[in-house]
Amino acid sequence: MTVMPKLEDLVDQSFDPFVVEKLSTGDCPDPYPRIHELAARSPVIEGSYRMQFTDVPDAQMGHLPQVMVLGYDAVLHVLTNPEIFRNKEAFAPNLGKSFGNTVTVMDAPEHTRFRKIFQKAFLPQVVAKWGESVVDPVVSRLMENFIHRGEADLIEEFTHHYPFQVIYAQVELDPAQGPTFHKLAIAQLLSSIGLPQGPEASGKLGAFFTELLRQKRANPGPDLISHLANVEADGEKLPDDVLVSFLRQLMNAGGDTTYRGTSVLLTALLTHPDQLAAVIADRSLIPAAIEEALRWEGPVSSTFRYCSVDTEIMGHPIKAGTYINTVLASANRDPEKFPEPDKFDIFRKNTVRNLAFASGPHLCIGQHLARVEMTRALNAILDRMPNLRLDPDKPAPAIIGHLLRVPEHLWVKFDAS
Amino acid sequence: MKAWMCMNCGWVYDQATGDPMSGIAPGTAWEDVPDDWKCPDCGAEKADFDMEEI
Repeated sequence: MTVMPKLEDLVDQSFDPFVVEKLSTGDCPDPYPRIHELAARSPVIEGSYRMQFTDVPDAQMGHLPQVMVLGYDAVLHVLTNPEIFRNKEAFAPNLGKSFGNTVTVMDAPEHTRFRKIFQKAFLPQVVAKWGESVVDPVVSRLMENFIHRGEADLIEEFTHHYPFQVIYAQVELDPAQGPTFHKLAIAQLLSSIGLPQGPEASGKLGAFFTELLRQKRANPGPDLISHLANVEADGEKLPDDVLVSFLRQLMNAGGDTTYRGTSVLLTALLTHPDQLAAVIADRSLIPAAIEEALRWEGPVSSTFRYCSVDTEIMGHPIKAGTYINTVLASANRDPEKFPEPDKFDIFRKNTVRNLAFASGPHLCIGQHLARVEMTRALNAILDRMPNLRLDPDKPAPAIIGHLLRVPEHLWVKFDAS
Repeated sequence: MKAWMCMNCGWVYDQATGDPMSGIAPGTAWEDVPDDWKCPDCGAEKADFDMEEI
């Protein structure tokens, strides 16, 4: 039998990583006019994406040579040429410090080997089964807290919690440890800005997962950690350091992005009531609504790559050693690929794939789970919150942030049950 | 139902749709997809696809 190890809180228990994290993502209400302006000028522009929106210096990357790559074709070129545009050097100084030796910080051939093993646990047919067994109970439990009231803040009371609680359920975490887990998962990101709580949180999560892995190897169950501890591809298992690093990243890659993606999906539909009505009338529109929300306001606006050789992008020379701000948001709002790109329109036809989950070998491992979670959450809300609408007595939702975008509140009214 | 799935990312090849962006016309059977074709989502080789239950 597994005895869940105790997760240690930060020594300074008054430290609030959520406030610090919010400061680092900024409060930019609308980065798109600036993104369009830059993309219209050139697909390659010197400087960093971040510095377009904040004066706060970037202690980790600010001194490094950087360019922004903008527009669908240029962004896709960077993402799909991993032998030139590498991950290891791009992410070692930031995510590597927080999570350790994860697949995000690897390139081929190491990345190819481990990626295949992880992906096996997150293939569509695997995660589809979690919809009913894991996601639905979490969604239902959270909704019980407000369904009788006829009003709620869907961010504070729902989306900010459900993807994280899905992960707690998958790793069979004691619910009482959930808040500490969430806090450490956010605090570990602060390694990249030099705060001591960052490595402290990474160390505590690492100790917790190492002990949990030891127990799950001895007594495997049906949970995700037991599965990852024993899954093989081409006869190879995952080494402990790679697996512990992946589990550290899972909270942020799987929890934080789905929280933002679902928040944006609900905001988009509620601020476009005609499209919400169409989805209510025809649930087969849900996949299109999810893809359009991911395109319109993807959870991550820009990602990094490192240029390993002298090369060029769409005729623009790039020197080896340059860090590439690969602006996913500009690709997803490229007017050449998506007419009227700033418009949220679930009825778009014949468009190219959006790049919200990136492309190429580092395409998001959890994309299929994210879609399952968003689908289940939206269906449950439409089923159990009839006459759903924005609360006219509260401020309208405002999606903010230049890198990781989300509204802080989404106040709604509905018919109580 | 079974289909050819990319083991690197989970993308599924649908014969009815093909992969027009890569020059694979709708209706092209899996056997007729060239060996040097790559997964349109992640760039994995055709050899990285397996027949999976979906």
